Amino acid sequence: MARKTWVYLAAILLQALIVAGCSSQQVTMTDPERDPWEAYNRKIHSFNMAFDNAIFRPVAKGYDVVMPDPPQRGVRNFFRNLAYPVTALNLVLQGKFEESLTATGRFLMNSTVGVLGFFDVATKLEMPYYEEDFGQTLAVWGWKDSRYLVMPIFGPYTARDFIGRGFYGYFHPVSFAVREYNNYIPLVVDLISLRAELLPFQEELDAANDPYVLVRDVWLQNREFRIYDGEPPEPDYDALLEEY
Amino acid sequence: MTKYFLLFALMLPVAPGVLANRVDDRDPLTIIEQTQTHILETLDARRAEFEAEPEKLRTVVREDLLTLLDLEYSARLILGKAGRGVSEEQLDAFAEAMSNVLVNRYSDGLLEFRSDRQVEVLPMKGKNTEKLTRVRTRIKLENGGFAPVDYAFRKTELGWKAFDVTVEGISYVITFRNQISPRVAQDGIDKITEEIIAGTFKIND
Repeated sequence: MARKTWVYLAAILLQALIVAGCSSQQVTMTDPERDPWEAYNRKIHSFNMAFDNAIFRPVAKGYDVVMPDPPQRGVRNFFRNLAYPVTALNLVLQGKFEESLTATGRFLMNSTVGVLGFFDVATKLEMPYYEEDFGQTLAVWGWKDSRYLVMPIFGPYTARDFIGRGFYGYFHPVSFAVREYNNYIPLVVDLISLRAELLPFQEELDAANDPYVLVRDVWLQNREFRIYDGEPPEPDYDALLEEY
Repeated sequence: MTKYFLLFALMLPVAPGVLANRVDDRDPLTIIEQTQTHILETLDARRAEFEAEPEKLRTVVREDLLTLLDLEYSARLILGKAGRGVSEEQLDAFAEAMSNVLVNRYSDGLLEFRSDRQVEVLPMKGKNTEKLTRVRTRIKLENGGFAPVDYAFRKTELGWKAFDVTVEGISYVITFRNQISPRVAQDGIDKITEEIIAGTFKIND
């Protein structure tokens, strides 16, 4: 069934893109430097919003209603913990060896005492939490600026982070289950629980003057914050003023 | 006469420029620490009262915060190119409208906050100059994690004033700027200020 589903999905997607492509409206570039593909990105964004409205968000809402908060947190803890060896690996690739040991310790602690990761014991014990992935590693290796790229269904990326995501998919157990066993259940649960976590932000998104720009600005700024481990360069406020 | 005096006194808190002409010689770290302590203590002491009338908390927060901010500078940053040719009065009106939105949101958010969820002020790090600096804090969340919240300060004639807040790397000035300045360029500042006051402008942070 799996292959057919993907073909079907791809067909819908293609159709959506063609329809979007036909209604060619003029798009003024709002950030030519970081988002030169804005015209394309906006189309995918619209598709994603429609998909989110019709399927993704209603399902996540249902999940949110049915599942009480503690098990919901448990599910997120489980998936976060499952990805943690990938974090530890990326810490090594970035030369942060000590941090990598701590990350491995965190993974072992949560996988055992924390019952397969459902309980985040490590955070309770104030063990530090690192967030690293291949996209960030590529940035640390020198690919600092990359173009913003919106992917169907998966949302905001940069070209660099999309390539990073490819590696990640290779190593990550959830993708492994899909690839080797055709088992989509972990992937679907991961996505739904992740979407449910983002439900509180919906009001802000609906209220935005330009939701596309809001998502992009928030995502890119937060991404840079993570790449620099919470110490991004100071924004150039004077430059903002000079345009005044 | 008394009637007019009363009216004037009532107007004072919303005209911070009039009140704030005293020089604040505290450093940014102390400003954040003292303000946070004062607001959280007031909140703990009068929680029931504030929950019944959120408007009262808004007033307290407004009085505590407004003299600490460089509203005009934030407004200029947010407007960017769209602020060209804007008069002093227009800028003040816009800055005040923005500040009310912020204060009200901040104050309503505070009501959901329990001070036993601690706020930590971290030592300053990174590039700090004589004119620009950044105070880092982190707020403990329910799930045990932390939300980093930074305040950017600049040195003015009246001492250090905050002009930007950054939550998990997301700057209020930059995010607002990209939502607001295109609309100002398109429809003019007066219309947008009006919409912000009326609550019809779509704003985000």
